[in-house]
Amino acid sequence: MDYNGGTVLAMAGKNCVVVGSDKRLGVQNLTVSTEFQKVFPVTEKCYIALPGLATDVQTLSELFRLKCNMYKLREEREIEPLTLANMISSTLYGRRFGPYFCEPIIAGLDKNNKPHIYGMDLIGCLNYPDDFTVAGCAEAALFGMCESLWEPDLEPDELFETASQALLSAADRNSLVGWGAVIHTM
Amino acid sequence: MKPGEVNLGTSLMAVTFKGGIVIGADTRTTSGPYIVNRVTDKLTPIHDRIFACRSGSAADTQAIADIVRLYSEMYSVNFGEDPTIRTAAALFHDICYQNKNALSAGIIVAGWDKYEGGSVYCIPLGGSLHKQPFATAGSGSTYVYGYCDKNFRENMTQQEAVDFVKNGIALSISRDGSSGGCIRIATITEAGVDKIFIPGDQVPTFWNKS
Amino acid sequence: MVTRLEQPRGGFNFDNFQRNVSLEQKGIRIPKPIKTGTTIAAIIYKDGVCLGADTRATSGPIVADKNCAKIHYLAPNIYCCGAGTAADTEFTTALISSQLELHRLTTGRQTRLSTARSMLCQMLFKYQGHVSAALIIGGYDVNGPNLYSVMPHGSVDNVPFMTMGSGSLAAMAVFERSWRKDLERQEAIDLVKDAIDAGIFNDLGSGSNVDINVIEKDKVDIYRNYYKPNERAPKEKVYKFKRGTTPILKESIKDILVITEGVEAMDIS
Repeated sequence: MDYNGGTVLAMAGKNCVVVGSDKRLGVQNLTVSTEFQKVFPVTEKCYIALPGLATDVQTLSELFRLKCNMYKLREEREIEPLTLANMISSTLYGRRFGPYFCEPIIAGLDKNNKPHIYGMDLIGCLNYPDDFTVAGCAEAALFGMCESLWEPDLEPDELFETASQALLSAADRNSLVGWGAVIHTM
Repeated sequence: MKPGEVNLGTSLMAVTFKGGIVIGADTRTTSGPYIVNRVTDKLTPIHDRIFACRSGSAADTQAIADIVRLYSEMYSVNFGEDPTIRTAAALFHDICYQNKNALSAGIIVAGWDKYEGGSVYCIPLGGSLHKQPFATAGSGSTYVYGYCDKNFRENMTQQEAVDFVKNGIALSISRDGSSGGCIRIATITEAGVDKIFIPGDQVPTFWNKS
Repeated sequence: MVTRLEQPRGGFNFDNFQRNVSLEQKGIRIPKPIKTGTTIAAIIYKDGVCLGADTRATSGPIVADKNCAKIHYLAPNIYCCGAGTAADTEFTTALISSQLELHRLTTGRQTRLSTARSMLCQMLFKYQGHVSAALIIGGYDVNGPNLYSVMPHGSVDNVPFMTMGSGSLAAMAVFERSWRKDLERQEAIDLVKDAIDAGIFNDLGSGSNVDINVIEKDKVDIYRNYYKPNERAPKEKVYKFKRGTTPILKESIKDILVITEGVEAMDIS
């Protein structure tokens, strides 16, 4: 987790969710890229954020893209956030004894536009928060920021500000995180 | 023993007498310094008149006993006859010996059958098999070898045998930190199994009455 | 790049194991799996069993989840408290409950506790303690109320009251003080609540709320967050940011196109 840096968060608001990440990729203290993608779209209304070891971030993003495409072909519908979370969770638990070093976060709106956010550890232990979830290098700082800044029933633009301020403030105090951030508001 | 594994730091005794056998055990189960269960039943039924006393890893010995219980059940169904103590002991011996690198199990198999009467078999850590007139096993056994050698007589009465086991377990409980709690005793004769439970406050004491 | 679909082969996949060992040797810090760091407790009372659990999940010193559920479903008449690695308790109980469901459909009978017990301990023994799930199984079957505790290495105990997890010592102290045979229902619930409460306040790994499950003959009552001793005080101020606080460097808006499929009446004029 500390090797490549990077951190992500997701928050739920009133009929909306945001998910975001910083943009840095490093090798310990050396910054390699300032445009590294950590949040990946799955459907129009559902994203996964993959913080962790960069090689696993890319492997997993490709693997989940494949699995979601197969799901869409088989089921002839888009995958729902909860289904996606369970799919990711069991994929990770399948490698219980040789895990990918990645702690995914899933955020999205379901078919009724109800917000969903899910977090999990590297072997797929799901948790179902109704407020926010964070992961990655600046996890501890982000937890603190979100605990104080998040409040219930935020409107999309308010939620965007809260999430970006939490992420940027946490990033400012972590040398392995930074170079701006990407926030997706749904 | 693997780290964090549940241990049966145990005092076990088994003794033959005129009409059968008596087995006894303490009731303490530990995981490190913590007593997981203070009223464990370490006398595990294998068949109608066959019991096993387990020491070592709780998980390993339970798994072995489950397998042997299955085999014994299948034996009596297939052959229409109860397995002998020798058969049950041989099954334990086979599993313990074939997997001796993966297991930590010291087992006493005892019971009554119509061919040999009461008999006691001991299977210590390496998986060898010994038929003995009496046997002790578990961490507490080291403290009572002298007691057993001094006091064991062949062809005791049932009451003498029960007292012999009861006092033996009580003595080893008092010296062995990882044995303790109560005493469980089972008598197996042609008539069947008779189980006795001795609560902690009724465990015999000796010269130190405190 | 993934070029093929992973075929499910059953069992665990160890492909990354060697790589992870060498990464660890190079000094890369491995993220820790979430532990339940738990107090779970259960007792048998006069006409059933009562299961209890705290609701904190921890990853190292960080509280990963403030209100997780540690009482898992196994069968309609059997529930199970889990302690240890959170993912392990979650997935072992889910796996066994699906096997029990199939078993029920084949036999057409109510699941017995001993069946659940055997399946769980055989699975945990197979993995020799590497799947670290410590479980208390409680339920009501043809033999009445019953309680089993299963340790990660696969050993089982049949007991009238049991506690497990990092807070088990605090909870056991409460049980050893007040447990009696044939408690009444409300007495049992209160005792379990007190035991979990002792764990929440005296063990750092346990915290937040108390979940209680009561199983009686043909009746299960689930009290999620039965008792909340750690309710957060409401914030005195609102910390909303003004719009435009965060400088936006680039913005792109994607409209979501909703296609509703329906049958339109054909023009047959």
